Amino acid sequence: MQVDIQHLKKGEVNLGTSIMAVQFDGGVVIGADSRTTMGSYIANRVTDKLTHIHDRIYCCRSGSAADTQAIADIVHYYSQMYNQQYGERPSVHSVATLFQRMCYGNKDQLSAGIIVAGWDSEVGPSVYNIPLGGGLFRQPWAIGGSGSTYVYGYCDATYRDGWGRDETVNFVKNTLALAMSRDGSSGGVIRMCVITKDGVERLFVPGNELPKFWEGKEVIGNVSKAEVLPDPMAIEV
Amino acid sequence: MANASAYRGTGFDFSNYARNSFLEKKGVPLPKATSTGTTIVGCIFKDGVVLGADTRATEGDIVADKNCEKIHYITENIRCCGAGTAADTEFTTAMISSNMELHSLSTGRIPRVVTAMTMLKQYLFRYQGHVGAALVLGGVDSTGSHLFTIAPHGSADKLPYVTMGSGSLAAMAVFESGWKPNMDRQEALNLVVAAVSAGIFNDLGSGSNVDTCVITKDHTEMLRNYRKPNERVQKENTYKFRRGTTAWTKEKIRELVVDETVVPLPHPVSAGGDAMDTS
Amino acid sequence: MQRQFNPYTENGGTILAIAGADFAVIAGDTRQTEGFNIQTRYAPKVFRLTDKAVLAVNGFAADGNMFVKKVKQRLEWYRHAHAKDMPLRAIARLIQTMLYAQRFFPYYVYNILGGIEDDGSGAVYSFDPVGSYERETCRAAGAAQQLVQPFLDNQIYFKNQVPPPGVAGGHPTHLPLDRVLSIVTDSFTSATERHIEVGDGLELYVVLAKGRSPQGLEGLRAAHVREVTGHTDGERVFVINQELKKD
Repeated sequence: MQVDIQHLKKGEVNLGTSIMAVQFDGGVVIGADSRTTMGSYIANRVTDKLTHIHDRIYCCRSGSAADTQAIADIVHYYSQMYNQQYGERPSVHSVATLFQRMCYGNKDQLSAGIIVAGWDSEVGPSVYNIPLGGGLFRQPWAIGGSGSTYVYGYCDATYRDGWGRDETVNFVKNTLALAMSRDGSSGGVIRMCVITKDGVERLFVPGNELPKFWEGKEVIGNVSKAEVLPDPMAIEV
Repeated sequence: MANASAYRGTGFDFSNYARNSFLEKKGVPLPKATSTGTTIVGCIFKDGVVLGADTRATEGDIVADKNCEKIHYITENIRCCGAGTAADTEFTTAMISSNMELHSLSTGRIPRVVTAMTMLKQYLFRYQGHVGAALVLGGVDSTGSHLFTIAPHGSADKLPYVTMGSGSLAAMAVFESGWKPNMDRQEALNLVVAAVSAGIFNDLGSGSNVDTCVITKDHTEMLRNYRKPNERVQKENTYKFRRGTTAWTKEKIRELVVDETVVPLPHPVSAGGDAMDTS
Repeated sequence: MQRQFNPYTENGGTILAIAGADFAVIAGDTRQTEGFNIQTRYAPKVFRLTDKAVLAVNGFAADGNMFVKKVKQRLEWYRHAHAKDMPLRAIARLIQTMLYAQRFFPYYVYNILGGIEDDGSGAVYSFDPVGSYERETCRAAGAAQQLVQPFLDNQIYFKNQVPPPGVAGGHPTHLPLDRVLSIVTDSFTSATERHIEVGDGLELYVVLAKGRSPQGLEGLRAAHVREVTGHTDGERVFVINQELKKD
């Protein structure tokens, strides 16, 4: 029997998403679109999919909103307990492992794709990808969600080692804008976080200020050289 | 078989599960639950939160209740609108209300909206969507005004204006065109009424009256039937039946008042004579 | 499992017709729905065919409109061939034939035909989607049939009502026009209260037998009554429009 993991739970709220995390010398940049859908209805157009786990550790959530929120809440709780018990912050690897255990151990009941990113004193910045089956992979950059399929080629062609903060932020912003423009389940605004040793900085790109790429030109209708702009609300008589 | 326990555990009773799934396989349909195919909304304003709901409850395409209450009490400063399976929304909110009261008693503080939200989402997540409650939770606490939606599978969203239920699209259209930050009480109330009305008139699952609830820092006002735009019209005829309209097959009259006559017995003459033999 | 295209939709609404001794009343609400949405608040379900025949269609609106169109076409052909309107009983038989012709891809509609027979009596014919039909005194069909028909059985046929003692002949077989109209109005206002697919407006046709006075109509406000009779000196047809609740 073929079990379709996408249709295990009907009528559920989904984060058909574009999410991303990239590490650079001094930290990590994580980013996400802001669309939450129930079928074709946008249940939330300004969702925050960048979820706080600990002081210097965040995760990006994709898949079922209920599943990923529940997992993130539990890992958030464990991380706080860890801090209290050992008197130090958990490493990104420890937190990512907690996520991985939950995702692997309950894989047949969950649809959750999570990217964990942050900074710790052991290894500095790091990014971990935990895709659907519950694997755990450390990567210099990771993309996820339904929108990510459109931009693997762009990331492979564009990413370079040794970038600074600003270059990395631009890379994340551009990648997400491209993914959101192609994927109908992604959209809205771009939210980003820059996590460094010194703290977490939140960045926000409104929906009308997303980076623009080639958008094609008008083919249907005879666009004259004088370029008369049509009244968008005009009614054809 | 092990001995049946004389005591009931807490939580749901699954003892009819096997029987019901057998009947379902045989083609006996399960009974339809009353669903509040609903419009429920919430909106944050300058001093607090306004919640709104319609008052129609349906069973399929029949109106089961024309004036039901969908804004449920959680605590004095927190209220919750429910859409979905009526029994689930009523029971879930009542149970969380109890737990919030206990929580507030044990902490000695005015409870927070996030606490109710967390309790609700963890409860709904546990039942993986089988408890069909879609909620709009709003309130004011020491950290300010808060408004959440909680979907049946247990996901929560925090937004300045929210809608849920079958009329959520009609209501959200009103919010998306009319909402602005820092509204005053009356502006917010008018917008909520307009949003619920859009659901009442354009969504068949919603109807009848508009209930609203205004929560501010030190006062909660439940405005039951704040608007009644769908009053029942006067019937043309009176449908009174003449006494004796219903046919009968037999007549039997019983005397309900029983008349008794008490006749005192004469005293026994002496102990030796006619005394009852009690040996 | 394979998904298949479904050519049918159920568009809600309710129709009903009641026959009097020398008149017929045919009515329907004007709401058209799909699922939980209102497609329109005014879509007529009742149509004048001739001066003595009115047809109400309910079910799948597209099929209903197409069916009425084809019936009207057949009636026009008849008029050209015979220089008169088709008698009501003949229209009823025609509708049966047309419905049964589509036995294996039926029109997804319930039809109620009302009007005046050649003998001047009021008549109602009701049909199932594949053409089974019978003449009755009253019939309700559509979304709120389960709500309205028992009410009509009780009020028109006097079911479950023992006649008052000493009244000769027991219950009347036909009611006067004003009583019928008020029962129709009450049926629809009640169905609107309890059925989500019924509401918005009520469109009501009255067909009067040749020579009958419009007694019973004058009680209604003139603004809502419109005469749509085609030819003078025959049967007369009136339309009455009323508002229903819109939630």
